[in-house]
Amino acid sequence: MSKISALTPKEQEIAQLLKTVVDPEVGVNIVDLGLIYEITMDNETKTIHVVMTLSTRGCPLGDVIIQNVQVVLDANYPDYKNDVELVWEPMWSPEMITEDGKNAIDSL
Amino acid sequence: MQAGLSTQNAPSPSVVLPHFVFGALMFLASGIVMMIAAPQLILPYHLNAHMLTLTHTMVLGFISMLIFGSLYQLIPVVMEVKLRSERMAKITFYLFGTGLLILVIAFWEANFGPQQNWRWFEISGTLILVAVFLFAINTLISAAKTKRKDIGNLFIITAIVYLTLTVSLAVLMIINFAVPFIPVSILDLLKMHINLGLVGWFLFLVIGVASKLMPMFLIIHKLPEHLLKYAYYLLNAGLIMIVSAFYFYPKTWLIALSVLLIFAGIGLFLYFNYYAFKHRFRKNLDVGMKLSKVAFLILAFALILSIFALTTPEFTASFQYRIDIALIMSLIFGFLTALILGQTYKTLPFIIWLQKYQAKVGKEKTPLPQELYSDRVAQWHANTYLIAFPLLIAGELLGMAWLIQVAAVFFIITGLLYNFNVFKIVLHKEKIIKS
Repeated sequence: MSKISALTPKEQEIAQLLKTVVDPEVGVNIVDLGLIYEITMDNETKTIHVVMTLSTRGCPLGDVIIQNVQVVLDANYPDYKNDVELVWEPMWSPEMITEDGKNAIDSL
Repeated sequence: MQAGLSTQNAPSPSVVLPHFVFGALMFLASGIVMMIAAPQLILPYHLNAHMLTLTHTMVLGFISMLIFGSLYQLIPVVMEVKLRSERMAKITFYLFGTGLLILVIAFWEANFGPQQNWRWFEISGTLILVAVFLFAINTLISAAKTKRKDIGNLFIITAIVYLTLTVSLAVLMIINFAVPFIPVSILDLLKMHINLGLVGWFLFLVIGVASKLMPMFLIIHKLPEHLLKYAYYLLNAGLIMIVSAFYFYPKTWLIALSVLLIFAGIGLFLYFNYYAFKHRFRKNLDVGMKLSKVAFLILAFALILSIFALTTPEFTASFQYRIDIALIMSLIFGFLTALILGQTYKTLPFIIWLQKYQAKVGKEKTPLPQELYSDRVAQWHANTYLIAFPLLIAGELLGMAWLIQVAAVFFIITGLLYNFNVFKIVLHKEKIIKS
């Protein structure tokens, strides 16, 4: 299990890829929004495990965002099985937004 | 399915979209009615046929119709339940739309004299009553299955209950006109109806929905939701008390006390919004949220107007009825209209976007929901609306029909531009962006 702040180089590559997934309401990518909590790449079991959250429960676009994550992982790591886990703890808060995310929101 | 995911619960767009289209057309129609009826809109009658035509075209045709459509989408999504019956929702739409059209024509033709024929009122009232009960059954049975018990859901459920009471009372009033049997004056019945509709149905609903959507749209966390709990009790107590007072014991002190409770509830809701806007992470507001902010400012203005309406100070005595009308107009054409105009852009594009692009997300480059409408047109109609509303209120307060007609011109322009965007969204053709 790798927290978003302590990823291996391979996992960082995945994080970069996930930056192509944009929250359609906010218009900012989900990594900079702080929605991705953990990314684990297991080469033995050929599994990518992503732990993520949404900004609010009942987010009208929640499953679209998760579907987008799965599609991106499938397309770029076809040999790996992806497992996207949605969690509500810890609860997301605006403090989790990265500096890049803050700048992107300000520029909208 | 993972807990908390809800888009799969959303109903088919064919359930929701007709409400938006019908509502948008009714908003435009209201501007035309206002233009024609302007000379009658400054007359000091409570049973003013043209005023009733205009207000009902707005509150039922535009505002309630859009709320019905939005709730069919919102209840499944935020409460994480399936809508009980899509078929029932479609039947409700046709009954409600037909009833509304008959009702507003009946109002337009009415004279409320001894020769008044009540048949069309009875037919339209029955259609609307049946539609409202079907809507309530459909949404309340759906909502009852939710595992998410929070104050927002409670406000929405309570609003639907008050809607059934508002319309039931309206039908009783129609019967009472034809065959008097209620031992209360028409004026007091009208006040009960207005309070139940504006506070019970609309305000409760707005508070419930705002508590759900505000954190998403403004990016804010930890809103003071306990304030809404107090507001819930205050508003319920005030509303039940004022309606009971008009029926059983119409004494000034009791009505004043009820109004104070309602004011306190609205005050807490306004503070909740002030907090949300002040502490929001997303500083730049899009047109939808700008209009919503305007709506809350107008609500604060309406609160000030209502102080004059209720205390009847000496210097306003000569034009007291104009203040009463301006107050109702502020709530209908101000608070609720600004909110609906704005929130259309926070709901409708997403419904169409999900329909067109959900299966393509991640695989192809798709437009964003906010690219489904013209932002420039939305900004224009926000501006024309901001001209129209003050002119209308000034026209009512000063008793100048020509000013109301100028306001109507701006409402018609607003309606045309708003319809342009609504149709642009609804008729959106799938578009894949080439990278």
